[in-house]
Amino acid sequence: MNNNNKQELKLAASTRTPVSVRNWRTALEKWKDFMFALPAIALLAVFLYYPLVNSFYISLTNWNMTRPVKKFVGIDNYTYLLGHEDFYQSLKITFTYTIMDVVLTLAIGLLLALLFNVSSRFYAFMRGIVFMPYYISMVIAAMVFVWIYNGKYGLLNRVVAMFGIDPVEWLINPSTVLPALVVVSVWKGVGFAMILFIAGLRSIPADYYEAAAIDGANRWMLFRHITLPLLSPMTLFLVITTFISSMQVFQSIDIMTNGGPLNASNAVVYWIYTMAFSQFRTGRASALIMIFFVIILLLTALQWFISRKKVHYEG
Amino acid sequence: MRDSRMAGQKNSKVVSFIRVVLAVAVTLIILFPVYWMVVSSLKTQAEMRLAVPTLWPETFSWGNYAEAFRVIPYAKYFSNTLIMSIGLIILQLNVALWAAYAFAKGRFWGKEFLFLLVLAALIVPDQVTFIPVYVMMSKLGWLDTFWALIVPNGASAFGIFLLRQSFKSLNNDVLEAARVDGAGRFALIYRMLVPMAMPTIVTFIVLIFIAAWNSYFWPLIMTNSSDMRVLTIGIAFLRDSIAGDESLHFHIIMAASVMAILPIIVVYSLMQKHIVAAMANSTFK
Repeated sequence: MNNNNKQELKLAASTRTPVSVRNWRTALEKWKDFMFALPAIALLAVFLYYPLVNSFYISLTNWNMTRPVKKFVGIDNYTYLLGHEDFYQSLKITFTYTIMDVVLTLAIGLLLALLFNVSSRFYAFMRGIVFMPYYISMVIAAMVFVWIYNGKYGLLNRVVAMFGIDPVEWLINPSTVLPALVVVSVWKGVGFAMILFIAGLRSIPADYYEAAAIDGANRWMLFRHITLPLLSPMTLFLVITTFISSMQVFQSIDIMTNGGPLNASNAVVYWIYTMAFSQFRTGRASALIMIFFVIILLLTALQWFISRKKVHYEG
Repeated sequence: MRDSRMAGQKNSKVVSFIRVVLAVAVTLIILFPVYWMVVSSLKTQAEMRLAVPTLWPETFSWGNYAEAFRVIPYAKYFSNTLIMSIGLIILQLNVALWAAYAFAKGRFWGKEFLFLLVLAALIVPDQVTFIPVYVMMSKLGWLDTFWALIVPNGASAFGIFLLRQSFKSLNNDVLEAARVDGAGRFALIYRMLVPMAMPTIVTFIVLIFIAAWNSYFWPLIMTNSSDMRVLTIGIAFLRDSIAGDESLHFHIIMAASVMAILPIIVVYSLMQKHIVAAMANSTFK
């Protein structure tokens, strides 16, 4: 009753108020709504968008963080990097690591999705365990693997010894260091890929399979011609997101190898970090950051582009 | 006819048995590194060096945990991590609640564009912005304080997106009725929207907590005194601070590691269902 009265009063009031006052009131309401978005926008402007532009500016200077002078040098930092072998070496390391990581994480993740896609409490429990490493700190995960890889007493060498193979310094040998890093990342990431692939599998209508089975398709044909194509949007999403996060590999390198041996694991982000905070070449590090960021933007654009064009969607 | 059906049933039983065996094996393999960390944390130094490693400690060497406490100011690191995590939860949650309300239910000029600007933040990794933010923090005198760990990460684009989705699905009539009754915006958000979107909010809080607890790059850049170290940094330093052959001290490092991930394991075990559901739903934006 009270409510109705109020509403009527308000209605009456609004019909009586002059237009200019009403406009002023809606403007005030809009302003109030905007004020609630403002903290988020201000934080992003100050701590994300301004630093982004500022990073670009710094990349055009010869700034060294320990000294006050900052001279504008144009594209010198970029030409230095592009003309330097270390740059291509670091990119090569990053991409080698990333491709191994993406392929293994997704391939194993898909196999696990097919294996674990059973609706029962026990399977849900096991999926929970497989997904758990995704939330374990990379520092701790890396530390456990440093222990497992330890040359003298580590488990891996003990196991390898049972097959009569001599101990290997997994993190000191240039040919094993990247695979050793990839294993940690795959261990942490397969559960996530599995969960998303299962979500994808469950969104495929069952009648597709039934219809094809009536037509005499065998299991492999069902997988090849129904499951894989209909999973492709999820696969694309996982490829790009895993690729982008994998390219940012830093923590495991900082804990396990420090970029070594002899820069064999000096991936881009780790190089940025040492360039900025050990060698204090702030300008040059910023140039590397910008190149790295452009690569990430291109990958994101690629995902956006392909997802609109090529990938099979239902219906 | 009947025979073949029975054979089929038998066959499918065999298949599901093989499947369970495989699934259990995979689960154990994935669990193994965590198991190995716990087991190693309880072994003596001598047992760590055996040529044939033991899968179960001969004696439980709880002293390793006391030793970890002695080597690093563990309680200090733990409370630093907790303060940072709680600070991030309070700030990110409130900023995201306000923004999600504005973007889901509000009307103002440039709303779509500003929301796009928020979403675009998802593409920018920490490594792109850390140098200017470091300089900014240093000018403000915030380096090596909780301010530098919390404030620059106050706006979570992911959280704003998540809460906005959830607010959008809520009925407008109830809100309108409340507004007509003279409820202000804060009352609308905290008394009406928050209770209705509770499952999403709980998930968001859990995800902020896990991300904060595990963060490494940001605290590594923004702090340098031992008083301000968080657990991830502390454990990296514990390893560096061990004199001599580090191969001999992994039982201590593992004990410290177990204590560092315990909160995550507990939170994850309790909230697992919510987290898995949120992850599976958050992909197709």
